[in-house]
Amino acid sequence: MIIHAQELRKTFTTRNRKGATTVEAVRGVDLDVERGQIFGVLGPNGAGKTTTIRILATLIAPDAGTAVVAGHDLREEPAAVRARLGYVSQAGGVEDTTTARAQVVMAARIHGVPDPKGAAADVLARFDLSEVADRPGRTLSGGQKRRVSIALGLVHGPPLLFLDEPTTGLDPQNRANLWDRIRELRDAGTSVLLSTHYLDEADALCDRLVIVDHGRVVAEGTPGELKREVSGDVVTLRLDETARAAETLKPYARETRVDGDALRVYVDDGEHTLPVLLRALEEQGIGLSSIALDRSTLDDVFLAKTGRSLRDAGAAA
Amino acid sequence: MIRHVLLFTGYELKKTFSNPIWPLFSILQPVLYLLMFAPLLKSLTPGGTTAEALRMFTPASMMMIAVFGSLFSGFGLIADLRNGSLERHAVSPAWRPALVLGRVARDMATLVVQAVLVLVVAVLMGVRIGVAELLLLLLLMAATGLFASSLSQGLALTVRDENGMSQTLNLFMLPVMLLAGLFIPISFAPGWMQAVAPVNPLYHAVEAGRALFAGRLSDSSIPISFAVFIALAALTTMWSMRSLRRIAG
Ligand SMILES: Nc1ncnc2c1ncn2[C@@H]1O[C@H](COP(=O)(O)OP(=O)(O)OP(=O)(O)O)[C@@H](O)[C@H]1O
Ligand SMILES: [Mg+2]
Repeated sequence: MIIHAQELRKTFTTRNRKGATTVEAVRGVDLDVERGQIFGVLGPNGAGKTTTIRILATLIAPDAGTAVVAGHDLREEPAAVRARLGYVSQAGGVEDTTTARAQVVMAARIHGVPDPKGAAADVLARFDLSEVADRPGRTLSGGQKRRVSIALGLVHGPPLLFLDEPTTGLDPQNRANLWDRIRELRDAGTSVLLSTHYLDEADALCDRLVIVDHGRVVAEGTPGELKREVSGDVVTLRLDETARAAETLKPYARETRVDGDALRVYVDDGEHTLPVLLRALEEQGIGLSSIALDRSTLDDVFLAKTGRSLRDAGAAA
Repeated sequence: MIRHVLLFTGYELKKTFSNPIWPLFSILQPVLYLLMFAPLLKSLTPGGTTAEALRMFTPASMMMIAVFGSLFSGFGLIADLRNGSLERHAVSPAWRPALVLGRVARDMATLVVQAVLVLVVAVLMGVRIGVAELLLLLLLMAATGLFASSLSQGLALTVRDENGMSQTLNLFMLPVMLLAGLFIPISFAPGWMQAVAPVNPLYHAVEAGRALFAGRLSDSSIPISFAVFIALAALTTMWSMRSLRRIAG
């Protein structure tokens, strides 16, 4: 176990002219991350992902809770935790005025890497950055900057890497490319804790994940387990009388759920249930405008656990 | 600990001088002040000669670079707060205070270069100063610079916003500058100003600087200014180090 966190809590108080407001950013989070895993923290904006990662990275002292990170207690030995960590923040941490290489060399020096220049050149080459490494940070593209920020967190070869929303703002190609790099890291033995608000990313990349919402863990498991828990397939219907249709289809479904103007019907075997559903609607004379059959996604898990869709949750937060 | 401070000092210096144009401007600025203000102030000084004016104005410009040169260095810290590099360094094994102390040390190094430059120009223009006085002057500048730089870092970590930072600095700069008698000796000022001036720490530093250039080693302004600025510098340095707890908001 490379991270074992229990009951982490953090409340922020901000003061302004209207008085003090408090935000319970993290409300009792438990995390258990096995060595050599890519572990995901999936959640909408404001769910508390960054706050959780900052607590685990010794940047914020939790109000309550305990955690052992990379073999050392967070409160007792923060310095030992920091020495074993690679931390890539949501902002990235790439400075504008200095070259990428100078920043990576500096990071290596701080960590006491024996040959800072050599180690920097290695990690920059691994992330295809050799050509741009001598340009100031401000001249790099978004994707290049991302890779520099990960190189900065990896130059000392830490056993545990934190990546806070590593692919936000990248185009699909750069994203897929970065996923491959992260998988390579795992295969070389590095444990990775990453946060994301992309369903497909959590699904495709993570060995195991937690879904967080409003500072709480609402589900935990492998992507496969989580989806199986909800159900195999989901039939999405758009029709005139959503409520009556839900009532009609209930006997054939594991669960039905109204999501905006759509009705989502969770079934074990979509291909064979679909004709049955259609017949039932026809018998009741309910008009249907569209129908779709999909494998259930992590969004369905989120919907099942919180009653909201992850796509909408971000906007509401 | 010391190793990390040195490491960050070197890094910050390299960062500052990686583009040689801007630091050149800031280093030359006090020299320009000296060259352009001294002739202007000639008519104000008792003797009416350029040498007299320089003796008035050189100490003032030394103190000015010590304070105002370093007061703006916190803007760099705000930039690093935004781009996340400060956060990144805070999660490294680096001794945390080194993150600000390295910047303060860089400001002090820049200050030394500026001081030497101003002195060379002043000496070329006919100002003379004894060795003991010179050493005391440099020490006083160091204390003043330490105060200003660490104040700036602490302010940056507290305000966390370029706009708020420049507003705050502007608010304090004019009164502090005028009430120190930097350009115009405070003896020209109306009574109430003369009464308020001693509250301004910079006033004592400028007075001490003038006493040193005049060779009055026993002037009371010298121990007063040292006491004031060593105390202030200790306070602001501690404050800036404590403010580091606020890196993550
Ligand atoms: N320094 C802070 N001061 C006050 N409130 C904060 C602070 N940091 C975070 N919060 C609040 O805590 C909550 C959780 O924030 P956090 O940054 O952890 O969310 P997140 O899951 O990382 O979101 P995102 O996907 O947008 O990055 C939010 O409501 C946020 O406004
Ligand atoms: Mg975040």
